[in-house]
Amino acid sequence: MLTAIIVFLAVYIILIVDKFNRAVVSLLGASLVILLGVLDQGKAVAGIDFNTIGLLIGMMIIVAVCQKTGMFQYVAIKSVKIVHGEPWRILVMLGCVTAIISALLDNVTTALLVAPLTILMAEEMQIDPYPFLFVEILMANIGGTATLIGDPPNIMIGSAANLSFMDFVKNLGPIVLIVMAATFAPIYALYGKQLKVDSHVRERVMQFNEREALQDIPLLKKCFFIFTLVIVGFLFQHRIHLEAATIAIFGAAILLLITGEDINSTLEKLEWTTIFFFAGLFIVVRGLDETGVITILAQRLMEATSGNIAITTMAILWVSAISSALTGSIPVTATMIPLVKEIGIQMGGGRDTLLPIWWALSLGACFGGSGTIIASAANVVVAGIAGKAGHHFRFIEFMKLAFPMMLLSIVLSTIYLYLRYL
Amino acid sequence: MNAATIMTTNVATTECDKTVAEAMRILRDERIRQLPIVDKNNKVIGLLTSRKLLYLTLPRYISEGLLKDVKFAPDLPQFHQRCSELAHKDVCEVMDTDFKKIGPGVSIMEVATIFVSAEKPVECILVVDNQDRLLGIISPWDIFKRLCEYTEKK
Repeated sequence: MLTAIIVFLAVYIILIVDKFNRAVVSLLGASLVILLGVLDQGKAVAGIDFNTIGLLIGMMIIVAVCQKTGMFQYVAIKSVKIVHGEPWRILVMLGCVTAIISALLDNVTTALLVAPLTILMAEEMQIDPYPFLFVEILMANIGGTATLIGDPPNIMIGSAANLSFMDFVKNLGPIVLIVMAATFAPIYALYGKQLKVDSHVRERVMQFNEREALQDIPLLKKCFFIFTLVIVGFLFQHRIHLEAATIAIFGAAILLLITGEDINSTLEKLEWTTIFFFAGLFIVVRGLDETGVITILAQRLMEATSGNIAITTMAILWVSAISSALTGSIPVTATMIPLVKEIGIQMGGGRDTLLPIWWALSLGACFGGSGTIIASAANVVVAGIAGKAGHHFRFIEFMKLAFPMMLLSIVLSTIYLYLRYL
Repeated sequence: MNAATIMTTNVATTECDKTVAEAMRILRDERIRQLPIVDKNNKVIGLLTSRKLLYLTLPRYISEGLLKDVKFAPDLPQFHQRCSELAHKDVCEVMDTDFKKIGPGVSIMEVATIFVSAEKPVECILVVDNQDRLLGIISPWDIFKRLCEYTEKK
């Protein structure tokens, strides 16, 4: 038992220190779990949630092909021109576009698509891109919370609790919209006045030609068709009795077949680091679960809250938010899932009793991902792109504004969960 | 045949403290495309390449490949500004230090392999002695020029 705890804590600490590649750390942890005899290989592999891995891979393939068409850049440029190049409105538009794209794609891809375009536009208008990028980071995390596929914690939670795409939209959609609106208010107070440019500068933005962003129209049509099909598949997921991974992998395979895209170069574009990070982490957490530590933790939590569902929900929400902000949302979610399952067993009652706790975990982990620059992959990617463009993100400077805003979103989530479910 | 037999030996060079504008003048007057930068002992310390200069004028999020297509956007004011600023810079600020260099004894098949399999396009290869002193320069066409002479002689 001690061995599993030590391996788990060591992996966690090394991840926080952030000196080594996270996939390497998690694979090393997973190997140690087996080498030190905590799990045999069979049990370790059984600990990997292949529904999560399959859904990640399927969506990554679809996105890797769709990205080439320029359809997302088209949407971003179009949205900027709709508001006639007025900077504050551009900020709101790009924020909303980021949220929507992030709900349908993964956050990292969204960041990779929107951030370079944003910097180009800001430089074209000769204004500071920082407020734009800041809002985009928050919106990528907030928008991703609304759907099953929007953010990795949701993929894990959806798989563990058997929640569909629509379950997420119906239950988390409203709070996501509320938090989005609440996020723009303080940003306007801080930056709204500064964001003014002359009319000839606005003209420059209006010269952007969104049609030129579209690359390959036949490919675009195929991508659009398959992407819509996959989303429709997700919408009716429960009715057609398919797991999300099956739908995503099937969509990806069909897309590769009908577009004839080169399989090797497409697969190279997948974020293998993330995939291996997940696989290793699942094994490390399963090792911890196997020893009964999580059961004991769940018992302690139930004793502390005397089995009160409201208090337990709030505890999960706040603990997962703060720990996600500090250590990253993926390891937190991976650890919390067996804990929540265990709470479910000890509470008794059906699947529905546990639902508020699952939503709390999703809101905590996803919104918590905005708290610091290291908390989620999208933040790291945007900061990296900005750094390359010569606009450096400072850890403390980001946190000074992002952490209070993260707390605001969690306060709103607390009220929402209480009013709706408790 | 080896590198020494196909290289061009009479190579125009420049020094670290010259400006890019001065270097451009040499490129124009000598009708060449590459300019090695050497120190006082004729030791090669860098290479002026068009690719590196272009790289420096573009914003990094473009040159690093994050935005592969900018057809949709008008030119950035800072692109033009950087182009004109470049002229006043010292060559050591803008030279490519990641250039390819080989010894004179390297076979021409190996030279050809370096041109074809390098990760980023190679405009030329410098031939140096064991103390990195410049002996000559090889462009891809040099391989074939010497091959022609060789077959004609036969």
